[in-house]
Amino acid sequence: MSDNAIEVRHVVKRYDDYLAVNDFSLDVPRGAVYGLLGPNGAGKTTTIRMVLDVIEPDEGTIAVLGQPVRGTSVLDRVGYLPEERGLYKKMQVRRVLRFLAELKGVDTRTADARIDQWLERFELRTAERDWGLAKVDELSRGMQQKVQFIATLLHDPDLVILDEPFSGLDPINAQALKDAVLDLRQRGKTVIFSTHMMDNAERICDSVCIIARGRKVLDGRVTDVKAEHGIHNVALALDGDGRGVVLPVLEDRSLVARFDDQNQYFEIELAPGANPQELLQRVVRGGAALSRFELIQPSLHQIFLDRVGAQGVEPGMSGHG
Amino acid sequence: MGKTFVVFKREYLERVRSRWFLVATFLGPVFMAAIIVLPTLLAARTKSSSNVANVIVLDATGTDLGARVAKALAALSPTSPPPRVSAVAPDQLPAAEDRATHTVMQRGAEGYLVLDSTTLSGKGAEYAGRNATSLVDISSLTATVRKSVLDMRLENAGMNPDTVAALTGVKLDLKTDKITDKGRQAGGGMSSVVFGYIIAFLLYTMIALYGQNMLRGVLEEKTTRVAEVVVSSVKPDQLLAGKIFGIGAVALTQVFVWVVCAAALFAFGVQAANAFGGPQVAAAGIHMPTVSPLVGVALLLFFVLGFMLYTSLFAAVGAMVSNQEDVQQAQWPVMMPLIAAIIFLAPVIANPASTMSKVVSWIPFTSPIIMPLRMSLITVPWPELAATLAGLALACWGAIWVSARIYRVGLLMYGKRPSLDELLKWIRMA
Repeated sequence: MSDNAIEVRHVVKRYDDYLAVNDFSLDVPRGAVYGLLGPNGAGKTTTIRMVLDVIEPDEGTIAVLGQPVRGTSVLDRVGYLPEERGLYKKMQVRRVLRFLAELKGVDTRTADARIDQWLERFELRTAERDWGLAKVDELSRGMQQKVQFIATLLHDPDLVILDEPFSGLDPINAQALKDAVLDLRQRGKTVIFSTHMMDNAERICDSVCIIARGRKVLDGRVTDVKAEHGIHNVALALDGDGRGVVLPVLEDRSLVARFDDQNQYFEIELAPGANPQELLQRVVRGGAALSRFELIQPSLHQIFLDRVGAQGVEPGMSGHG
Repeated sequence: MGKTFVVFKREYLERVRSRWFLVATFLGPVFMAAIIVLPTLLAARTKSSSNVANVIVLDATGTDLGARVAKALAALSPTSPPPRVSAVAPDQLPAAEDRATHTVMQRGAEGYLVLDSTTLSGKGAEYAGRNATSLVDISSLTATVRKSVLDMRLENAGMNPDTVAALTGVKLDLKTDKITDKGRQAGGGMSSVVFGYIIAFLLYTMIALYGQNMLRGVLEEKTTRVAEVVVSSVKPDQLLAGKIFGIGAVALTQVFVWVVCAAALFAFGVQAANAFGGPQVAAAGIHMPTVSPLVGVALLLFFVLGFMLYTSLFAAVGAMVSNQEDVQQAQWPVMMPLIAAIIFLAPVIANPASTMSKVVSWIPFTSPIIMPLRMSLITVPWPELAATLAGLALACWGAIWVSARIYRVGLLMYGKRPSLDELLKWIRMA
């Protein structure tokens, strides 16, 4: 039995002339919280759909929890929260949940017991009101998100795939989702995130795979990925008006390879062989007041820019989510 | 199979529980009763309207014919104002007609009747009035004038008026029975036409209604994006199969309730008829048509196959479109053959043995509606029936095959409605 929850081998998916996924391989270790990162249109959702056997790859093989996805019932042990979410609007919440659980092979009685537990955990069933008896469209958007999340976990899956889970979530539900993910991890389950919000992923994931234009850019443990990219980065924050002093220094290509200008804050990648102390001295000598000067590990966002280049970044992608 | 059943269960229970289903299922028989009772009421209405006697009789014959006609008309409609007779000289007739027209225009009478020498010679009379287009009124006027002329002639020939009344008082109902290859069928020709029409129309209504229902269901799964979750748990083919069976079971449940209600209605109707003087009801032509088991099975097969053929196609349409606006156009190719079948109902009833009727009843897209109609009108040879069913089954299989492919691809496609080229690509791609 494989130690990997997911093994994708040399998978190719074409739509007409468009190569959505190009010779893509992926190993997701069991028990990990794994991030599948990349801009919109990178091939994340296509990859996930192939893992879920919703679409068939043109080439390559996919195994989930040690078994091929086609012709086995292994997908009954997978929970999936799609990016585009929705439920049967006119159906009673409880019946929707029971239906989705039964589709995963859970018998009615077990499903009913778990539905009670989950509804209570997410405060959809209280002394005053049992929202499980309401129709889906009577629920608020936040409540519907909770129901959707319950539907993903109701059959106690060993592998949970969350496609852009934080998009559209209110802060309270986002926190509930993060808690639930950590809970799952503690119980030895594997969780896969797909997201274009790298900051979010950086904080939650053990390992990541960055994908752009259907190809893998890099993958590995978050700490390894960062270490590999070395500490060439400096975080610099101004205390007051010092842009006029700092900018000419940052334009010196012998000192600075590139920088991310965020007005009062700069994330700077040093030129090869450059000394960060020299940067500090020149800025201070120019008279700029600093509130922060720190040698930092590069963010995943930085690493992504580094490896893919700005042209790999499409509108909608952001390092700050 | 397990997952197909889960889908089946949801599709069935959610629909059967809906208010729409309850209303349609239990108001259906009321509607049906209305359809059956209405002809009886209409039959009762074949008496002329109460206005038929409210006329002016312009008698230019110089005889008592006008008075005779007026008397007979008054007897025909005792509740309305009696006819007014005025004797007119032939040369005064145009002026009298002008005055009568004026009276009718001011609603002083319904119309006026002109009796003159041509009436006496048995050739004709004239009538002008507001009810001139009412077939029933005109035919009772004609009959009344004809009988009055006949009475007068007989009396003039020296017959006793009582003898004349006894001899000419003939009321006749024509009872009709149908003869088919199996022999004479009780119940009359009309009732099998009505039965065939009801069956055909019921099939059409069920297929169209539940086809639309399927389309909306699929579209809902697409627009709410619930399809995305569902297809990660169940293969689209299983999903489609569960939907077709589930919706089919709902339709069969409804038909079953209706058939039971209809049978109860007829049983109760016959009892009631016996209690309250059966002959009138029996004479009104209400008969429960007898359906042989073989015909019953054939009807069921046409229903099931036709239903599957069309619901699968409607499912494909639902998977093709992404919003309600596109539905009308996209479903047109599927609705067209259904509507064509309805257009052919009347010609087929008029001549169920014609070549055109045969051909329309063979084509798989119209056969589920037209063949049951033909079967109830004439005896269709069983090899022809078997061949039609086989053709329909084949078309059904083909439709499901194509629909499943469109469904598989379309379910997760959003945006513009696909062109025919793209659709063919979907079918090849799946």
